[in-house]
Amino acid sequence: MARLAYLKRIGATQVIFLILLLVPLSGIPSYQFYILERGLQNVLVVLSLVILLGFTGQLSLGQAGLVAVGAYSYGILCVNFGLSPWIGLVAAPLITGLVSLALGFPSFKLTGPFLVVNTIAFSEIVRILILNNERVTGGPFGLNGIPTIATGLKLYYFMLVVAYLAAVGTLRLGRSHIGLAFKAIREDEVAAESMGVHVRNFKLLAFVISAVLAGISGVFFANMAGYLNPDSFTFNESSTYLLMVVLGGMSNVAGSILSSFAVTSLPEALRFMARSRMVVYAIILLLTVRYSKVLEIENFKRLYRRFRPVPAAATGSPSADHPEGKL
Amino acid sequence: MGFDTILQILIQGLNMGLIYALAALGISLIWNATGLFNFAQGDLLTMGGFVMLSMFAKWSLPYPLAFLLTVVVMGLVGYLLSQGFFFPMFSQGIHPDIIIIGTISLIVLVQNGILLTWGPHPQRFSTPLGDSPVHLGKIIIMPYYLWNIAIAVVLVIALQMFFKKSIIGIAMRAVAQRPVAASLMGVRTNQLVALTFLLATGLAAVAGILIAPIIPLTPEMGSIVALKAFAAVLIGGLGSFAGALLGGVIIGVAEVVFATVVVPTYKDVFIFVILIAFLLFRPRGIFSSEISEKV
Repeated sequence: MARLAYLKRIGATQVIFLILLLVPLSGIPSYQFYILERGLQNVLVVLSLVILLGFTGQLSLGQAGLVAVGAYSYGILCVNFGLSPWIGLVAAPLITGLVSLALGFPSFKLTGPFLVVNTIAFSEIVRILILNNERVTGGPFGLNGIPTIATGLKLYYFMLVVAYLAAVGTLRLGRSHIGLAFKAIREDEVAAESMGVHVRNFKLLAFVISAVLAGISGVFFANMAGYLNPDSFTFNESSTYLLMVVLGGMSNVAGSILSSFAVTSLPEALRFMARSRMVVYAIILLLTVRYSKVLEIENFKRLYRRFRPVPAAATGSPSADHPEGKL
Repeated sequence: MGFDTILQILIQGLNMGLIYALAALGISLIWNATGLFNFAQGDLLTMGGFVMLSMFAKWSLPYPLAFLLTVVVMGLVGYLLSQGFFFPMFSQGIHPDIIIIGTISLIVLVQNGILLTWGPHPQRFSTPLGDSPVHLGKIIIMPYYLWNIAIAVVLVIALQMFFKKSIIGIAMRAVAQRPVAASLMGVRTNQLVALTFLLATGLAAVAGILIAPIIPLTPEMGSIVALKAFAAVLIGGLGSFAGALLGGVIIGVAEVVFATVVVPTYKDVFIFVILIAFLLFRPRGIFSSEISEKV
């Protein structure tokens, strides 16, 4: 049964990526294509949060800081040191992983609101350092003329392949012994520790894996924009990433991918409302969180079960396997 | 550096510190009543400043009336937020991390609401004492520093009286210590939580009014101020009245000293490094209150 649920889950992700593979071929306008690209870039950050928040239960608002580290290390390596973009592509996520140790080490003792404060502080420190080291980062004027790996459709398909690998990797990670250790930490740290899970190391591992994914997303951001500015990596970005994961169901990979596209395109879809669109967007998000108890996937399953004439023995086990949205 | 310079730095630091302390007190109060963190506290502060801007600078109401109206309006906002948003989630027993995410979406709402209503440009207003610097011996200070310090000190004393003497204040402290015992003694928790939010938002509004002459109001300034208020709460000791006050003053003075003596651009980094150090080595702060972790 567990095996079946696993196949079902893989299935949803495959379908989403198949659609993403076909959509640009239909010749959509360039603006919609750009939003699709942005969505794909956000998928990587959201997957990083699925691992950190969904699996391990570590609430982080520093994700934009990590994306900034990835984007800027790619930009600085390519512009200031003149390295090939391919070297930057490999090196930048690794640098982000290393930097995340600076975030992870003070964090493994902290939970809940304290962790959030810590990660916001980290993100702000990164932003202020970028803003004030003008000679290296360009400061408030931004970093210009970043070389790209590829452009247009080629870049899109490259990103798609990377995002696909990341999604399948996240799914497999969730099922591996590492993922189970992460989930044990999420459910009860003390119990996990007493069962032989090295909580500190696994938390650090979760931080590093998630930072590497955020770093890759940063590299793609630099590739798409060709220009970096500290304003692109503010607290607002971090909170948007967090909301994408929450709407996607925390540890649900397919749901998170869908919600990252939905949330990316929502402000654009509301563009006809001009200036008030961000307020409407915020209200939608607020109501979703407020009624999260009602919207929980479990409730839909319960509703579905009520109207479906099947023996009780066949139900229950997939949901018992995946305590979704519980943190 | 002479004595005058030190005094001047201290006055400036005390001034910023008392403003952070007011915001920090609000955070601390909400933590005491519900065990929740309201991350939107900084943005409610900004909103308070902007409401005052409309009443005092745009509609040119007299300062005391505008001040009072702003605090009342923001207090009502806090009350409604509590009744419509926080308390239902709190009483349903939703995971605290989800409620934190709720406060984060509240930040997005308040910031964009401010952007829509008052626009993106930095705006400021002054106090009745005006903007011309005052010479006190060799020290030159802006009059609003003295004004702010006076208001903050009066407010802190009034709050202390409220918690020590009034029945509501005593009920609040009772809930903070033993929620179940307090509700068995007839304290109505939902009313008290709403009242706490009202008080906390009112305090944030006062801080917003006081900060406007010093730092021009912008829609997104709340995040940084909130982070410093959190730093104040955590350094002083979570849930402690004196702790929030002391933490705020420490943050304010440290910020001004660092900006004057070392380099102004990294003053925020300095504060955040202090914050992280406290989280690491003394998470309970200076006045460690009785918060037992579930093990």
